[in-house]
Amino acid sequence: MHFLSREATIARAGFNRWLVPPAAIAVHMCIGEVYGFSVFNVPLTQTGAGWTIPEVGWIYSIALFMLGVSAAVFGKWVERSGPRKTMAASCACFCGGLLISAIGVKLQILWLLYIGYGIVGGIGLGLGYISPVSTLIKWFPDRPGMSTGMAIMGFGGGALIGAPLGVKLMDHFKSAASVGVAEAFVAMACLYAVYMLFGALIVRVPPEGWKPKGWEPDIHLTPMMTRANVGVDRAWKTPQFWCLWVVLCMNVSAGIGILGQASKMCSDMFGVSAAVGGGFAGLLSLFNMGGRFVWSSVSDYTGRKTVYSMYFILGALLYCVVPWTQHIQNKALFVAVTAIIISMYGGGFATIPAYLRDLFGTYQVGAIHGRLITAWSVAALIGPNLVNYISTAKIEAGVPRAEAYNSTMFIMAGLLVIGLIANLLVRPVDAKYHVIEAPKV
Amino acid sequence: MKILALAIAWMLIAVPLGWGVYQSVQKSMPLFHGQSAPAAPSTQTP
Repeated sequence: MHFLSREATIARAGFNRWLVPPAAIAVHMCIGEVYGFSVFNVPLTQTGAGWTIPEVGWIYSIALFMLGVSAAVFGKWVERSGPRKTMAASCACFCGGLLISAIGVKLQILWLLYIGYGIVGGIGLGLGYISPVSTLIKWFPDRPGMSTGMAIMGFGGGALIGAPLGVKLMDHFKSAASVGVAEAFVAMACLYAVYMLFGALIVRVPPEGWKPKGWEPDIHLTPMMTRANVGVDRAWKTPQFWCLWVVLCMNVSAGIGILGQASKMCSDMFGVSAAVGGGFAGLLSLFNMGGRFVWSSVSDYTGRKTVYSMYFILGALLYCVVPWTQHIQNKALFVAVTAIIISMYGGGFATIPAYLRDLFGTYQVGAIHGRLITAWSVAALIGPNLVNYISTAKIEAGVPRAEAYNSTMFIMAGLLVIGLIANLLVRPVDAKYHVIEAPKV
Repeated sequence: MKILALAIAWMLIAVPLGWGVYQSVQKSMPLFHGQSAPAAPSTQTP
């Protein structure tokens, strides 16, 4: 279909580039729902099918795993096909996955949910996550951090929308015969399809050689930026790629460890109610979302290497402060410290595409980003498990519950130090990896 | 016309995002009202 092709999305003269971020945010806002999927876990165990929490928990895990795999595998196809086709494909997979899952709930067949939301939906997540990145970077060569920060902020925002939306839809459709999960899945599929197709409809790529008015690429080059391009097949063989892989993995491991356990951690450390713990988790989600935009925008002025060094140094120091806030029972300070940590966790996510663009150019930056996202999948295993297992082991060994997280905080600080070392090792990519001359502008 | 399209596009994004932020702010309110539960047990029961 020509309408979906890259050629059909080339912007005409006079197109306003500020129409592209809403397209990217529309897609990210929908697929970010995955972070709110846990609201369906308990209702899924009440469908009468006899499913258990560990069994339904696999749906989320498979989806996140497939996000990483599909982003890595389909990255080159995404670059070749252009943003509209990949956004439409992402919509078909993500919304189709929700519909398959609805059928699975109705027929009480769990593997349909694994295939639907987990595998098919997970592929939609991967395609949707990377599809707008290179487009935004090409439209905003003057502010790549800010532009990709906006899209990835949308993913964080999707979590804020998805969880309460799921709860409200289930409440609406609940009846004597149904817990409302299947109906909620169908409603969400329809709603998200509208938004994702809206994004696909308005997205445009810049014509060859386009640049913002008054912006001269050479004037804004820093030693860590290149005008050359590196293809994805060569990029992942460079030391820079693996340094950034470690940077992302360590940053995410440290942040996700706190984010996943926020409510319980707050309750355990300060003896507060579950409602207050939930409030703490809600506040962190806001900082996670805001940090994505703010810190990645800051990186346009400081440079990517500097801003990551700041995430790691300040982050490690703040992690070491967390046990002290528990010791002096200063809840306000604890909240402030963890909020800054989580904002930098979000910032780390959002700044990475611009860092890749600085080092590898714009040619296949979306595909390279796709391969780097495997670091996220690994981090999703490391972070929560570190916090879970260590705190549980401490409690079983007789350490007071309130102090059980202290050693975990120091381990998180250690992870950030590893990330800092990897970041400091990043150097400009050797010219032998450059495969294509930068386009003339 | 271009300005209108731009405004509509951003509004379509801002409305659901604003709703999500509002929901999270509502959720985080108990944190600022300082409800304390009875202190958690210091060790896990066997």
